[in-house]
Parts: sequence; C-alpha cells; structure tokens
Amino acid sequence: MRIATHKPVPPAVLGVLFALPWIVGFGIFQLYPILASAYYSFTEYNLFKPPVWVGLENYRELFNDDRFFKSMFNTLYMTVIGVPLGLFFALICALALNTPSRLQPFYRAIVYLPTIVPVVAATYLWRWMLNAQYGYINAILGGLGLGQPLWQEDATWTKPALLFIGFWTVGGTTIIFLAALKEVPQSYYEAADIDGANWWSKFWNITWPAISPVTLFQLVIGVIGSLQYFTQAYLFAQERLNTPSGGPEDSLLMYGMYIFQNAFSYLNMGYASALAWILFLVALACTLVILGFAGRWVHYEGD
Amino acid sequence: MGTTRRQLIVRGSQLAAGAALAPAFLTLSPRASLAQDKVTIDFPYLWTGPEGEAMQKIADDFNASQGEVEVKGVSNPDQQRQLAAMASSNGFDISDGFDNQIGTWADNGAIQALDDFISGSSYDTSDFIPSVLEKMSFDGKTYALPVAVHTTLLLHNTTLLEEAGVEPPKTTSELAAAIEALTKVDGNGAIQQLGMQQPDFVSFAYSFGGQWIDDQNQPTANHEGNIAALQFWVDNVLNKYGADNVKRFQSGFGEYASPQNPFYTGKVAMVTDGEWQARFTQQYAPDLKWTAAPIPVPDDKPELEGTSSIASSIFFIPSNASDADAAWAFMQYVMSPDAMRDFTVALANLPTRQSLLKDKAYEEIPGMHYWLESLSSKNLKAMPNVPWGQEYGTEITSTIDEVINLNKTPEQALNELQEKAKGLAG
Repeated sequence: MRIATHKPVPPAVLGVLFALPWIVGFGIFQLYPILASAYYSFTEYNLFKPPVWVGLENYRELFNDDRFFKSMFNTLYMTVIGVPLGLFFALICALALNTPSRLQPFYRAIVYLPTIVPVVAATYLWRWMLNAQYGYINAILGGLGLGQPLWQEDATWTKPALLFIGFWTVGGTTIIFLAALKEVPQSYYEAADIDGANWWSKFWNITWPAISPVTLFQLVIGVIGSLQYFTQAYLFAQERLNTPSGGPEDSLLMYGMYIFQNAFSYLNMGYASALAWILFLVALACTLVILGFAGRWVHYEGD
Repeated sequence: MGTTRRQLIVRGSQLAAGAALAPAFLTLSPRASLAQDKVTIDFPYLWTGPEGEAMQKIADDFNASQGEVEVKGVSNPDQQRQLAAMASSNGFDISDGFDNQIGTWADNGAIQALDDFISGSSYDTSDFIPSVLEKMSFDGKTYALPVAVHTTLLLHNTTLLEEAGVEPPKTTSELAAAIEALTKVDGNGAIQQLGMQQPDFVSFAYSFGGQWIDDQNQPTANHEGNIAALQFWVDNVLNKYGADNVKRFQSGFGEYASPQNPFYTGKVAMVTDGEWQARFTQQYAPDLKWTAAPIPVPDDKPELEGTSSIASSIFFIPSNASDADAAWAFMQYVMSPDAMRDFTVALANLPTRQSLLKDKAYEEIPGMHYWLESLSSKNLKAMPNVPWGQEYGTEITSTIDEVINLNKTPEQALNELQEKAKGLAG
C-alpha cells in the first residue's frame, strides 16, 4: 500500500487563494463597473436598449452643455472655498480643544456631536434654521442689525449656506487634527520657551510643520470628498415628488447630482458615464497638483 | 423614506466616484419570481397621505375581489426613485405617473405598449374622453391609460376678496388690479399678503395664448403668449413689490398639502390650482370660503376664455415588470367605472370616463363643479408627447428661474430657451 503524499502548495498560490474572495469581489463590483462605464461613455445608452457606439460624441457634447460647466463651477466653488475654510476652522477648533482644561472631554464631545447626526436629518433641520423668514439664523442676524440673506432662494447665497452647514460638522476633521497636535513632542515647545518664542512663532515653526503630513492627508481627502459633494445640495434643492432640481438658477447643481440626473432622470447613461470619467480625471489632476506642491510645505519626521 | 433616499444618494455618489457601479450592477441578477399559488405584483404609487390611502383601498378591493393576483401597494412619492427602479433588475410591475412622461419613457423603451393587452382582452377604450386617451399614445402605440384628468383654475379666497371689494377677475387687466388691491406691504416693504401666488407658468402661458410645442412637435418656447405671461408676472408682482421681497415672503410658506398652505392661511388671496383642491380645502381648511373660475385672459383676446392646461394621471406597466399580465389585470380594475369613481371621488379628481362626468357622486364634493365645467371648454391645452419632453421641462424650469430672479427679461430668457430647445428637438 502506498500512502498518497501531497506536494505542498506554493506560498504564492496559497496567498492568491486566500485573497481570492476579495479579488473576485473587486473584479465584479469595482473593476468591471469601472471598465464598463468607460465603454458606456462612448455609447448612447438608456439602460433599456442596447448601447449604441457613438465614439467621442458624449465628450464633444460636454462643451456645448451649460449645465456641465455650471455644475463643475458649483463643485469647484465648494472645493476651492469650502475645503480650505473647513480645514482652517477645524484646526482652530483643534487648537482650542488642545488647551488644558478640566472640561476638555466635554468640549470635545460638543464639537464632535454634530457629525453623528444623520446627514439627511441634519440637512432638513438646517433648511429650517436657514429659512429666510422664520429661521433662527436670520433672526440672530436681524437682531445684530445685519442683512438677512435669502439662503435658499437667492442663487448667490445657496452655496454659502451649504458651506455654513459644512462647518457645523467639522468635528471629524477636528479630532484628527487634535490627535496630530498631541503627537507633537513637548520638548520642542520647551526649547522654544527657553528661547522666548511667542505663541505665533511656536505655531508657525513647530506646530504647523509637525502636523503638516496630517494636513496634507485631510486636504487630499477633503478635496476628493468635496468633488463628490452630493447629499446636502440634493436635499436643499429637493422639490415635491423629488423631481430633478438644481435649486435656484441651478446654483445647487453639483457635479455628482448632474451625473445622477443624467443617469436616472434623463436616462442618458452614456453621457453620465462620460461625466463621471471627466470627474475622475479632475480628481486625479487635483490630487497630483496637491501632492506635487506638497514637498514645499509638508515635513515628515526625520526629514 | 430615509433609507430609500439614502440608497439613491449612495448610488449617485458611486457614479460620481468615477466607478459607474449602478448600471452594470443593476443588470446582474435576474429578478427572482415571487409566484407561489397567487401571483404577487409590486405597485408603488406616487400618492401620499389621504390620497395614498384612497389608492391603497382600491388595491385592497382588487385583492379581495379575486384570488389570482395579490397587489402589494406602497406609497413612494419620489419620481427619481421610481425611474431608477424601472431601470433596475429589481423593479415593480405597475405604477402611476403623468402623461407628460409618456413620450420620453416610450421612446427609451422604459414602458410597455399596451396595444396587445388591449386587443388581447378586447378591452373597450371608447368610454375614455378621446382627447385624453389620445395623449396616451406615442408613435401610434398606446403606452398608458388615464385614471384621472386635471385642469387648472384660479381659486379666490372669498373673504379676502370681499374685504378688499374685489370681484373675481375675468381679464388680465382685472387680474392685475386684483393683485394690487389684495397685496399688503408693511412699512419696510415686507409683504404681509400677496394678491396671487406665483402660478405654474407653463399653464399660465396658455391663458395668454402661449404654446410650448407646436403641432409639428417643434418647440415654441419664445411664443409671444409665453413672453406675455412671464412679463405679466414681472410687471405686476416682481417689479412692483421687489423680487427679493416676494422670495422672502414665499420662503415662509408652509407645506402644500397641509393646513399651512399659504392659500388656506390667507397669505395669498388667489392661486392657480387643480380640482383636488375641492378635497384638500375640505381636509385642511374646512372653514375657508373660496370660489374658482377660469384663469383670466388678455382683454383683447376674449376667444381664449376658459383656457386651461389639461393633464392626466396615468397608469403604466414598466418594461421590466415581472408579471405584465397580472399588472394589466389590475390596471383594468383601476380603470373600471366603479373603481375610477371611488378613487376620483376620494381625491376629487376628474374622471376620464365620459360616462362618469355626470355622475352624482361628484356633486357631493363642494366646488367640484367648477372643474367639471372646465372640461367642456374649447381651450384645453397640453404639450404633445415628445421624446425630449422631460429635458425640455427642466430647461423651462431654470429659464423661469432666471426670469423671476430678474436676471433676464422674459423675452431674452425665452429666446435663449428656444435655441436650447431646438437643440434638444433636433
């Protein structure tokens, strides 16, 4: 009788086998859709009839499409203004929370609390807070003798209104900054104190360089997230029966919403895919630019 | 509602990520059949609140009336979600919508032609109001059946009109005078009461002789009647009281289907609206005294008298329905005289069957006669079904936006819209 001997499975094969569930999932749910959307972007496709190859027509059409430019402008507005302002605001909060105080845990909870409110509920709440006639915000502004903007009706104020509610949920970013601030070695500050450095020079020469990798990370994540801005604008612009809407003069029409409307309201899936790929390229370009300039202001430990 | 909306949003943001997940994703698995001994069909409807309950009752009655098909109804007042479901592998079997969607949907292949069902079951369509039934077709095929038809009138708050000594206006110059007499502004220019609520300009334009698409299915966005309708609003409301003041006033308006509707609370004295107001006012504002009359027409165009938009609520079967035969059985039931009467009386909607127009059941609804009478007008206007109707609608909305924000004159804005519309139609 011979005993069957198994050859040991090569580690490389074993590794692939273990990773297989993920590879299959990635292939079916990510890689295939990505490639499919690239193909669809060269077709006219409404989901009901087979796609028809139209070459570059969808991409050509973009340049004659006012809404494409409008939605791109709105999204870049939210990104270029909203992300730096949000980071600035979060950093201020983190610095304030980093000062020693017995109530510090309490303050941290307060700052973080808004981020756990479901975004849909929070946005509906803010719609009322920002109501031009009955909202608390305008009541406060009026009490201070300031102007009372038409936050949701006037195209110049709709995006500032969104920025405003964005600052309310700055807690997540703040917490990450706070963790970074805790990591800055105390000995640097002690040395600076001995040299008689003031608050600003300690911040600018120690704190800022020390947390710069975290700032870079938050900037990149923030920009990518902002380019996909959707929920709050969608809910602000919402109308009865949830028909497609972009708010006053399309001032709330974000790029993601426009993709969605083309795909699911107008059934232009091919055009929507082309829009999605343009967004991908824009996000890629933004990230590369940010990383390209990062060398000038980001300092890693040991550099 | 939260979850469903979130699902939509998630799908939207997945697309935005550059990975257009949804389209490929949705076609993956074939729909599992729910059939056991009874066939179950899914029926989401756009009606909500008391109207939704009335629809649910029709579905329940149908379920009780036979043993073969079980209709699972659910209120879903979300048109974007509806269409997303129609494009997915996990859709529904039958639902409702509006006649202006038929062109786009039929052209896309999203909904099924009903001709085979109609001929197969020798279904008699001769009782439907011919002009309404005609709107159910696209490219020579019938794609839907109408359960209710809607016209638009001008409603007046009797108390406010009497207070101001104003008679219900018949011409646009009388309307302008009425708006002025019925608008109250405080010392700071803030509006306390507005003579008329901003109308739906698509139907308002019809009363000025306007038109949006002509008989050759070509856009006529800059028709002089359309310009005149928008100009009327600019001259008599926006320039007079300030566009910002009007917007600020409107921002405080309560929910449409609630006692806080600005017409019920007396914030606006007149409003253009549909026949369901006969029931809404009963439900939400039982003490309100009101009358209704056709929307005023220009003094020099008396031939336009009685002009109204006409639209209908439709039932359709999506192309991805799992059991179209069962859906057709339910559709026939909904369209039957008894069910249609029950439903349209419950909602105070106009029936689409000629045999029901004189039915006594509608008489018990106070004010319903105004709209029943309006149906005999020679000037009922609707947009023809065109494949680009949906996108044209969106463009019209943003054009009107530009006008009411006074960024462009009506003429300028509508000329630009015409150019865009030609692109859509071409």
